Amino acid sequence: MATKNSRTERLATNDIPISGRRVAAALHAVARHRVLAVLVLLAIFPWLMPYKALAVDILLYGLFAMGFNLIFGYTGMLSFGHAAFFGTGAYATGIAMVHFNVPWFGAMALGLVIVAAVAAVIGLLATRTRGIYFAMVTLALGQLVYYAVYQMTELSGGENGLRGIQVSELSVLGVPVNLLDPVNKYYFMLAFIGPAIWVFSRILASPFGAVLEAIRENENRARACGYNVAQTKWVAFLLSGLFCGVAGSLSAIHLSIVPIESLHYHTSGLAVMMSLLGGMGTFFGPFIGAFVFLLLEDVITNITVHWQLFLGTLFVLFVLFLPKGIWGTLLERLGR
Amino acid sequence: MSTDTVLKADGVTRRFGRFTALKDVSVSFNRGRLTSIIGPNGAGKSTLFNVLSGAFPPSEGRIYYEDREITGTPQHAFPRMGIAKSFQITNVFPQLTAVENVRVALQAMTNRFTLWRSRTSFPELQEKAEALLDQVGLDRHRHRNAGNLAHGEQRCLEVALALACEPRLLLLDEPTAGMSPEETRVMMDLIEGLAAERTVILVEHKMKLVMGISDQLIVLHHGELLAEGTPADIQSNDDVKRVYLGQRT
Amino acid sequence: MAGYPIELIVMQLFTGLALGTVFVLLAVGLSMVFGLLTVVNFAHGAFYTVGAYTGVFLFGLTGNFWVCLVGVPLVVGTIGLVVERFLVRPLYGRGIDYPLLLTFGLAYVLVELVRIAFGTSGVPFSAPPSLQGALNLGFGYFPLYRVFLVGFTTVLLIGLWLFIERTRYGLVIRAGARDPEIVRVLGIDVSRVWLLVFGLGTAVAGLAGLLAAPMRGVIPEMGIPVLVEAFVVTVVGGMGSLAGAVVAGLLVGVVVSMTSLFAPAFADMSMFALMALVLVIRPQGLFGRAGLMGG
Repeated sequence: MATKNSRTERLATNDIPISGRRVAAALHAVARHRVLAVLVLLAIFPWLMPYKALAVDILLYGLFAMGFNLIFGYTGMLSFGHAAFFGTGAYATGIAMVHFNVPWFGAMALGLVIVAAVAAVIGLLATRTRGIYFAMVTLALGQLVYYAVYQMTELSGGENGLRGIQVSELSVLGVPVNLLDPVNKYYFMLAFIGPAIWVFSRILASPFGAVLEAIRENENRARACGYNVAQTKWVAFLLSGLFCGVAGSLSAIHLSIVPIESLHYHTSGLAVMMSLLGGMGTFFGPFIGAFVFLLLEDVITNITVHWQLFLGTLFVLFVLFLPKGIWGTLLERLGR
Repeated sequence: MSTDTVLKADGVTRRFGRFTALKDVSVSFNRGRLTSIIGPNGAGKSTLFNVLSGAFPPSEGRIYYEDREITGTPQHAFPRMGIAKSFQITNVFPQLTAVENVRVALQAMTNRFTLWRSRTSFPELQEKAEALLDQVGLDRHRHRNAGNLAHGEQRCLEVALALACEPRLLLLDEPTAGMSPEETRVMMDLIEGLAAERTVILVEHKMKLVMGISDQLIVLHHGELLAEGTPADIQSNDDVKRVYLGQRT
Repeated sequence: MAGYPIELIVMQLFTGLALGTVFVLLAVGLSMVFGLLTVVNFAHGAFYTVGAYTGVFLFGLTGNFWVCLVGVPLVVGTIGLVVERFLVRPLYGRGIDYPLLLTFGLAYVLVELVRIAFGTSGVPFSAPPSLQGALNLGFGYFPLYRVFLVGFTTVLLIGLWLFIERTRYGLVIRAGARDPEIVRVLGIDVSRVWLLVFGLGTAVAGLAGLLAAPMRGVIPEMGIPVLVEAFVVTVVGGMGSLAGAVVAGLLVGVVVSMTSLFAPAFADMSMFALMALVLVIRPQGLFGRAGLMGG
């Protein structure tokens, strides 16, 4: 299979016209300075969108899908329980702010500590299983967190979700900032998501990133090389959960509420779909997936209430005919 | 355990469900020697290999390495004890380049959890990886994806991965399986060279191939130890002739 | 357990067994498909939903529950055949995650189609008059429908077991689960067996949906908790094992109904605690073989 791929790749690079090569060169440049490219685009992003809140959504879900992609795309483990980290991040931050009057940065830090604990425990159980079991066990444990938070009505608000997170006057380094203003909010979010993207990129480029790829490529060989595969997977799972937790924590501040759905299996499914649509195991894929997904959702829900029919069909078609996703296919066509 | 012995299996039995693949086998492997495990199909060669190399524990019996017992030691601990192996089925990282393959293997000895530095900022690893590729004759293919290498080249790459931990003991499971005669000759030369510096245990189906290069032979049959000795001993052993050589005529 | 009369506990135990039989049915379908095709059907819950709604539709048409009992597995099974033939089959050999992802997307399509056809709110569906009322079991009165459910499922499982153990097709299923090569030697078209097993698995899921409908209600989202339950049972029992599905299904049913008696707040979570316990003690499941987990 690999041989066939390289052949089509080579054909593609020879056959594309000059303008195509220019595109390829541009893409190469983007791939080389990926962090810078993303940051420049993100700085002007809200003005490219039909409305600015959509830009915030795309950032948040892009970060969520990116964190998920560390496990799915780079380590080769398909998790269906990442809503547990997104939702826990959101709830822990929100609860700390609403019920305990913790300032927003303290609440976010606390949120991350709790997400780390949840990810550590779920990871410990789930990485005991392999292959297809991993998807089933992460899904089940994710639902466990959902039911647990659902039951904690006094703290979480149960099925009504958590309400009353005040963001109209957040003190940022002593300066009061009104996050009800969409532009303020966007840059507030970017101040966290930008560094997160950079850290993620560093991890991928590190020796540890190479170990993850090795495990994805061949678990047995990685073990024979001297890697404790279960332990490495657990660390990857924890890191992946933390990135998703940051996204969740920010979403609590973004929405001022935390809906119970943020812990639901469907939210885990969002990360799966965004990653696959954009291109799993590629750096930009999750953001492109989030962008396409949310933009389509915005357009189509204006036309019909049956958005999920369209979404499901689109996803099935991608699995069948475009399994590398939009960005992954583009990279392959233009030759890496 | 005598100081000459590197690895020893003591009364090893391995069952899969009701099937006994290995029955009470006791063998020892001497330091600096090349020992080949041979036997017809289904003799239990691969099972013995897997038990010795830690892929799975024996159902009964013990394994000793140097001066300690290693029965049940997890697979990933073997390279740091100085034991490396190659698999019967080609086992590389197909989507990584040849040099990345070796670099990942080298890195397992030093920085397994380095999260912050760039993976290309370790010139000593890069040099070592390139040297290992030279050693197995793959220097021209450094930057090709492992999955795109020819079968024989992939097997050589796997040997390079095994060498990354600087093993004192190297276990190879049918390293020439599926190779052309030319590739086989390259591989056997490589193995002979490696055996000059370390202990090698080789599982091989084709007896003729290992006769010339082995110091010691172990013959398995139906999961039991049939004979052991020098190639000359084995060639003149009546039991071996009956069950092994007899099959061919 | 002070304060709880023994009759109540026995009744709750029986309720648990009745609930467990639904879990068994769900897990058997899922496990069978995985055992042979190594496909985890994420649309299993959606087929369950489609089964319940097909029941609603057929009941509206004929007014006869027994017609539904035959018709639902036929209809849902046929949908399953089409899905295997045209959607899942192109993905064989492409890695184990792809059929899973495909059926995950398919579930959205099926559930949305149900919403389009039957609306987004639930529809009423009650047991047929001949199965309403209660039966005196000696220690107390028990809903007749649940007694029927336990009996019917038992008969169905015995039938399924005989099919797998005693028929030529069953032989192929058992052999194929271990080694597709053997099936080829027997001169049987493997792809037809795979088609049949996928259809059978979905038919059983549909039937479970119909049978559960009078107990658990009919709404488009009914399949989601069910998918999770089926996974939990499969993980507890061990993938690909019929005996594992039966024992784990009943066990999960009893655990859930007992916690809803003694600690109602934890009823939804109890099965996950059981699963976590099994994962710690025996990660391959109660009846699973260690090798299968590699998948």
